[in-house]
Amino acid sequence: MAKETDMSLFNDVLEPFRRVINTDPPKDKLSASSKLNFSETNQSLKEGLSNLLSNKRKSTLGSSELLTPEKRSRIEPSSNKITAPPSPWEAKRLKIDLIAAKAQITKLEARVNHQHTIRKEMQILFEEEKASLIDQHKRDERALSDMEERLQVIRKREQELKDEHSEALKEFQESKSKWEKDKADFQKQIADLKDKLLESNVSSKDQISEMKKDMDELLQALEGAQSEVEMLKKEVAKQTSRAEQCTSLRTQLEKQTFELQQVTNKLKELEYERDSYKDWQQQAKTAQKRLSNMAELEKEVIRLRASERCLRDAVCNKLLLEEQVHLLTSRVEALQPVQQELHEAKVKMASLESSLEEWKNAARAHGVDSARALSSVLESALSNQLTAVAGHSEAQSQMAQLTEEIATVKYERDKVTTKLNDLQAVRKNQESLIHRLQKRLLLVTRERDSYRQQLDCYEKELSVTLCGESGAGSAALLSSRVEQLEKALQGYRDLLAAHDQEAHAKTVEGLRAEASRWREEAETARREVNKLRAQRDQLQAHLERLAAPHAHLTKVLHLTDNPAAAAHKEMQVDLETAQEEIKRLKAALREGGTAVCPEEMQQLRQQLENSRIKLKRMKEEFTSSAQEYRDVVYMLLGYKIDRTGHKNYRLSNMYAESAEEYLTFTLCDDGIEMVHTEYSASLSELVELHLHHHRSIPVFLSALTMELFTRTTIQQEVQ
Amino acid sequence: MSQQQTKNCITLRGSAQIICEYLKFAINSVLFQRGLYPPETFKAEQQYGITLLISEDPLIKSFLTNLLTQSEEWIVNKKVTKLSLVIINVANKEVLECWDFNVQYEDGDVALSKEKNETVGSKELKKIQQEIRDVMLQVAATISYLPFLDCRCSFDVLVHAKPHCDIPEKWAEAEPISISNAQNVQLKTFSTSLHKMETVVSYKLAD
Repeated sequence: MAKETDMSLFNDVLEPFRRVINTDPPKDKLSASSKLNFSETNQSLKEGLSNLLSNKRKSTLGSSELLTPEKRSRIEPSSNKITAPPSPWEAKRLKIDLIAAKAQITKLEARVNHQHTIRKEMQILFEEEKASLIDQHKRDERALSDMEERLQVIRKREQELKDEHSEALKEFQESKSKWEKDKADFQKQIADLKDKLLESNVSSKDQISEMKKDMDELLQALEGAQSEVEMLKKEVAKQTSRAEQCTSLRTQLEKQTFELQQVTNKLKELEYERDSYKDWQQQAKTAQKRLSNMAELEKEVIRLRASERCLRDAVCNKLLLEEQVHLLTSRVEALQPVQQELHEAKVKMASLESSLEEWKNAARAHGVDSARALSSVLESALSNQLTAVAGHSEAQSQMAQLTEEIATVKYERDKVTTKLNDLQAVRKNQESLIHRLQKRLLLVTRERDSYRQQLDCYEKELSVTLCGESGAGSAALLSSRVEQLEKALQGYRDLLAAHDQEAHAKTVEGLRAEASRWREEAETARREVNKLRAQRDQLQAHLERLAAPHAHLTKVLHLTDNPAAAAHKEMQVDLETAQEEIKRLKAALREGGTAVCPEEMQQLRQQLENSRIKLKRMKEEFTSSAQEYRDVVYMLLGYKIDRTGHKNYRLSNMYAESAEEYLTFTLCDDGIEMVHTEYSASLSELVELHLHHHRSIPVFLSALTMELFTRTTIQQEVQ
Repeated sequence: MSQQQTKNCITLRGSAQIICEYLKFAINSVLFQRGLYPPETFKAEQQYGITLLISEDPLIKSFLTNLLTQSEEWIVNKKVTKLSLVIINVANKEVLECWDFNVQYEDGDVALSKEKNETVGSKELKKIQQEIRDVMLQVAATISYLPFLDCRCSFDVLVHAKPHCDIPEKWAEAEPISISNAQNVQLKTFSTSLHKMETVVSYKLAD
């Protein structure tokens, strides 16, 4: 790596020289190197180079040094060869020659080495150059290929553009030709139209002339007709005269017919008279017959009278019987309720008997047979009940009494328990008191003992002092006394310590602790109060600052044309305009709705009228078109389709034999269905084939049409 | 050391200018945040290191320039104690919101003032701007708790000046305002070391 960096540096240094070398032909360099020995300039160059080389490439120089021992080795054998003793001059000469030769050899070797290094450098330089040139070459090639690609792309684009251009041109030409064609067509059309116009003109002229001719003919005909009319008038006059004759004839005929009628009437009357005469004759005959039967009739009358008498008697008898019947019916009526009562009584009796039986059974069950025994038993039972009731009431009263007593007892018990409690409390107190008293008693006894001791002591003292007043004795006495006193004191102390100290110390400590605690609390509370007070003051100040904006200290100023004022003004203006508008509208409303804008009303009315007309026209158009449509359907498909109701359609065929032959269809959610009719029942074959098998209504209808058509045509043929 | 002091020197006039600039941006910000004017009439502007919105309405612009030039004069002369931006319901002239900008006067750097022979402060401009930025951010955040203004509103700026102050042309005395059932929120304060600005918003608490 180091070597490479060295090489790069070396290259950098050599850069200027390389230029020189590149410009100079290599032959010069060689010649220069050959001249190196003799020319000083070349020497200097060589020196410069060697200097440069010595900086970086000592290794190469080292190699030249390595060559010297070889030379020495070569020299050594030559020196060894000179075994024969040469002459001193010769030897000297030879030595000189040798030295010169050696010098030359070293020089030449140095040159050779130098040449080698130069060559190597050159080679390196050339290789680098070559590499760079190759790189450049590659780059150039790449650039070339890129350029070629671009060129191709451009060519392609050009080609595309050309194609587009040609296409556009083609299109343009096509469109041009089309337009020209269109133009020619139009011109042709125009020419045709012109021809037509001319033709029509001509034809109209012809028509006009024809019409004129017709008119002339008609005028002639008119004249002919007028002459005919005159002729006919004459004939009419003739006919009227003949008609008059006819009327006179008719009157004569009428008279004759009247007479004829009269005659016929008379004839009829006569016939009637004749008939009545015949009747009279018959009556007379029957009367004669009756007269002959008279005697028989008389006999019969007698018989009838007898029978009449008999009948009268029978009538009398019947009246009597009727009276009797009447009497009997009244009696029956009177007896009927009695009978009913009887029945009821019987029923009652039966029921009573059954009940009696029951009673008896019941009595028997209780071991009583007679009614008296029963009553006695009942009485005894009642008395028993009475006694029981009395006992019950007594018991109840007793119970009440007892409950009362219980309550009182309870109350007393409660009282007693409370008393007991009180007493227990008292006892406890007493006990504690006793305890205390015992303690005190103990104390007192101890005190008493101590006093007693003291007394003893005093007594002793007294006795001692009384006995003798020796100094030593008094001193001993005093000391003993002191001791005793001290003991007593100790005893007191112990006592005190034993009894009070504990509790006292405890209480004292407790109190102290409490006091300190309270003190601390008070301290903290005070601190808190101070803090809160400060806070309050602060807040108050703040509040004052915020709430009361120093009304007395400051003057509130503002710009007269501030946005609020502007907005308020705007608002008022808006309000006024709105109010004005309201007033205006109200006034307009009061005047009446029509007076608001008559123009608009007029316009609206016109519009309404227009729309109505439009609607009417559309209706007409619709009905006519519907009719047309129906007609077309009928003519094309052979069926007249009528809508008989909601989703119901009646189809009648063109070739149907009668108006009753029609089919009914209903529109369902999933298609259309045929409804059963009398006529459809007669077409079961077609229905089976086309509707059930093919499932196609159109095919069925066409088949029906075909069938009807063939039938009608056959009929016609038959006719 | 003396170099440093002259560098951070804020004169009374300069302080007043800072205050007025703050007022301009604060008022515009409130107008934008409270939706008194349509948002499309506002233009974004970089100030105090944040983006603030300034009204493009020529009427508002002229009103604010008139107001603030006069206010600056008054602040320099220590005649103003408070500026109130009141938001008024146009229909019934009821005050719905009040933004109080309390101005307090401070002594500044006493030693430097003596040296300079005029009242000056020595607070760094950067620090002042940072404080102002904090207040502006708080103003922007107020929208989260201020009640919704659902009526046609307009605004006015009332200047609470000292009583002996002269009333210039185009100015008039106004009625002191009060908000019933008001709720006060104190925002951060900032100081230029000559003026202390306290921002308080009072709004009508919804019933």
